Amino acid sequence: MTLADVAAVARGGVSVRLGEGARSRMQRSHAWVAAAAEGALRDEHGQELQVYGVNTGYGSLARVRIDQDRICELSWNLVRSHAAGVGPPMPGDAVRAMMLLRASALSRGSSGCRPALVDTLCGMLDAGVLPEVPSRGSCGSSGDLAPLAHLGLVLFRGPDPEEDVGVAWLDGERMSARQAMARVGLERLVPGPKEGLAMTNGAQLSCAVTALMLVDAEALVHAAEIAAAASWEALRGVTRALHPDVHRLRPYPGAIAVAGDLRKLMEGSSLNDSVPGKVQDAYSLRCTPQVLGACRDALTYAGRQVSIELNAVTDNPIILVDDPDENKAFSAGMFHGEPVGFAADHAKLALIELSALSERRIYRLTTGALSSRLPPLLVTDEGSLGRMMHQAAAAALVAANRQMAAPSSADTIPTCEDQEDHVAMSTTAARRSVDVLRNAQQVVAIELLCAASGLWCRQDRAAAEGRELTLGAGTAAALRAVEEALSGRGTGVPSEDIQRVQAIVDDGSLVAAVEAATGPLARVHHD
Amino acid sequence: MTEVVLDGQSLSTAQVAAVADGASVRLAPEAAERMRANAAVWARDGDPHLLRSKWSWLIGGDAPESHQALVTRFVVDHCAGVGEPLPVPQLRALMVVRANVLAAGMSGVRPVLVERLLWMLREGVHPVVPSHGAVGAAGSAALAHVARVALGLGGARLDQESVIVEPLVVNEKEALSLINGSSLTTALGALAVERGQALLRSAEAACALSMEVIRADRRCLDARAAAARRHPGIGYVAGRLRAFTEGSELVLEGNEPDAFCVRCAPTVLGAAHDALAWVTRTVEQELNAAGDNPLVFDDGIVEAGHFHGAPVALAVDTLKAALVQVGSIAERRVFRLTYGQLSGLPSFLVPGTGANSGLMLAQYTAASLVAEARGRAVPGSVDSIPTVQHHEDHVSMGPVAARTALEVVDLLADVVAIELLAGAQGLDFRLAGEAVVDGELVPVASKQAGSGSKAVYDEVRRHVERWLDDRVLHPDLAALGAAVRAGRFASLGPA
Repeated sequence: MTLADVAAVARGGVSVRLGEGARSRMQRSHAWVAAAAEGALRDEHGQELQVYGVNTGYGSLARVRIDQDRICELSWNLVRSHAAGVGPPMPGDAVRAMMLLRASALSRGSSGCRPALVDTLCGMLDAGVLPEVPSRGSCGSSGDLAPLAHLGLVLFRGPDPEEDVGVAWLDGERMSARQAMARVGLERLVPGPKEGLAMTNGAQLSCAVTALMLVDAEALVHAAEIAAAASWEALRGVTRALHPDVHRLRPYPGAIAVAGDLRKLMEGSSLNDSVPGKVQDAYSLRCTPQVLGACRDALTYAGRQVSIELNAVTDNPIILVDDPDENKAFSAGMFHGEPVGFAADHAKLALIELSALSERRIYRLTTGALSSRLPPLLVTDEGSLGRMMHQAAAAALVAANRQMAAPSSADTIPTCEDQEDHVAMSTTAARRSVDVLRNAQQVVAIELLCAASGLWCRQDRAAAEGRELTLGAGTAAALRAVEEALSGRGTGVPSEDIQRVQAIVDDGSLVAAVEAATGPLARVHHD
Repeated sequence: MTEVVLDGQSLSTAQVAAVADGASVRLAPEAAERMRANAAVWARDGDPHLLRSKWSWLIGGDAPESHQALVTRFVVDHCAGVGEPLPVPQLRALMVVRANVLAAGMSGVRPVLVERLLWMLREGVHPVVPSHGAVGAAGSAALAHVARVALGLGGARLDQESVIVEPLVVNEKEALSLINGSSLTTALGALAVERGQALLRSAEAACALSMEVIRADRRCLDARAAAARRHPGIGYVAGRLRAFTEGSELVLEGNEPDAFCVRCAPTVLGAAHDALAWVTRTVEQELNAAGDNPLVFDDGIVEAGHFHGAPVALAVDTLKAALVQVGSIAERRVFRLTYGQLSGLPSFLVPGTGANSGLMLAQYTAASLVAEARGRAVPGSVDSIPTVQHHEDHVSMGPVAARTALEVVDLLADVVAIELLAGAQGLDFRLAGEAVVDGELVPVASKQAGSGSKAVYDEVRRHVERWLDDRVLHPDLAALGAAVRAGRFASLGPA
């Protein structure tokens, strides 16, 4: 499964089913857990084999043995007592991605649960049953317990079919789990041995949120390159900083990609390299390959980590059915959200810097003394304040991003009677990275708007003086897309203009229009 | 519904909160009189082409010719907010805060401006003000979105738009004064103060309940000891905790000395108390201050920098730090209450643990919320990014600080709710005379809590039932979280 697959299911409604090979793997491990639950397995002392979470309590309660007749009650109790989220609900795409990822983890056949769990998850995804999952309260270890338990309240039911405690959305309507599942013809499952644990023991919300963020971040990197190219031309930059031989000498893949994309976007521009005597630009232009390239590399790293997690077993204990040991349950720490938390925190840092660099170009574009003789504050419409407040808004957004820079995964608070004495805080890391991404999207939209003003100004001057002016292939396409979004050169209300340009950044239409003119920009995530 | 009277001199954070919740406002006649006199001074001594001068300072270019075009361009070009609209309470706070700045009578503007803002509050005319994009210095995007609607220049509204806003013609000074200040920071700061103070009072109630369950040593509340440390907050909090636990058979002098989360509670909550007292004073000063530029005095017009949001930005950053300490020490008490070996009660406070996980996850949730609040508590005011062509080269970032302060308060409300849940759950064992001895839950002597603590317990039990067998935890957390936010626990105990 790739990041793109996650987005296709979470947002595009692509249908999901369990492969036959996976089904038989799941059945084998389930058979072993069922045997353990029935007391049919013995340890090396000839005693009934204790398997964590099957016939023991959870967390520090692993010391407590659970009688056979209470094993299913144990599973249902876990789901109910772990549904401890608070705060506003998570957005639908994140919840769908979380469902998909949990289904994927279980389908590896190392969790000892029935294939029916995955079938039901797939059925819920197909039918559009969306569990209500509160956004706050998960530590990401031992997994996103509370968020997944809220999912479990919809997928599962207790021994009493009248008990109806989950909340779900269906076709925009909020209803009880029982109602939602009945309406689409899906049976809620009574959780069997270990199945409550198997449903909750992994950082799938962290991973889901991070995966979707990374898909959006790749699009934002492309938009940021397009904006940087437009600013570069508006500021009549020096392209020697982008020469491929220069970047071969310090060969970070991200920097090489940014330099290449910028050359491609600005191909044929008559504005660049046209200021006599200017040998180099300020950092916000000249160092774009190094800074945005470092952002790219960070996002690539994050994408690689998350891609491992997308296809990983995250559970405890893990059932290794082919192991020669009689006891095939291996307790380990496969649920811990640290790898995902790091990825989200590092991606967040990259997006903060992406926005910070963009804001400095906006400042340059709007500052008369710095803009290669563009009008101060980009006042093209006589009597207006130009793009004065756009830049202030970008500065505020960057400050808001920097305020969120502290890595969430650096924090940990011991939980569960000191048994779970180091936790990931990966869920918070993931959610913060999305907050940063949204702000960064707005900053890039503001840069596009300001760069467009600069380019209009250059065009108007050239026209007035009867000179030819050619924009780079990508920049020309970007300017057309911005003009289309604004129905001309703008509404005259800053916040409305920003909103309109942000819409084409967010929905991918800007990047699509530019790539149609230039060919594809370099990928951030490599499948 | 209460009514708030604005005089530019006595607005309190409580009144801002009341207006946020829907109270209507009117302008005191003497304030209107002062404003009229002050506006007359501006008419006599002020620069009638103030905005034109500002234009040339900012841009080096010309302003529009006609007066109305000038005012319109000025206001609309400042409307650069981005992101989700401010929720109605925050928006109403913003409007009343700006109205009071003008009512101070030092801006040289006519009462009609304030009357217009107050009319909008009364009629529920609520402009869409995007919540991001303000740096908290000088011309404010947030206020511009309000001014656009207030002057009848269009602009989106949150209400049904059934009420027509007639155009209001203003002079150049009035247009500037409507937007020239850090009122967004102050407004959000005032709400954070109100909610933060209530949170601290609720945290004291929760702490008292936990002390009963933990059978704290009452000596840590000793009045002489508290006075010896000299910080007034320590004495105040220790006094409140003594009052809550008065008459308790559980919190006694001479019990085993406690861990820091109990023994140092007066010190930590007391430090927060003192910090919030300073924050409250600072915000209330700002609420009644001339946060505008230029200022109009009887004997002259003064250009200064009173639009800069630094004072309140620093204060709300302090509020965040203070409350995070309150939350993080509360979480440690929840940890202790749910930790069998430390509490002498069943693990996770539920009988028959094993098949039951009890309040295990409530502590996880508290831990997660505290960690999230710590992240939000990073100060906003330490940042600054130069804006407007080197002119506005140091800004407060107060709106970032204040917005995250409200988020911190909201996150920690659930932490306090979780301590209340665990505290009541633990106290049930003490009241019933049950304790864990050698791993078994056995009968022991039943003990009474202090009458104040018992009142806290009773309030918890109005919202959630005792946990005997595992059930869905979320509804309990939601019910108590709502009760904490509604101030149901803040009002308990002595004032």
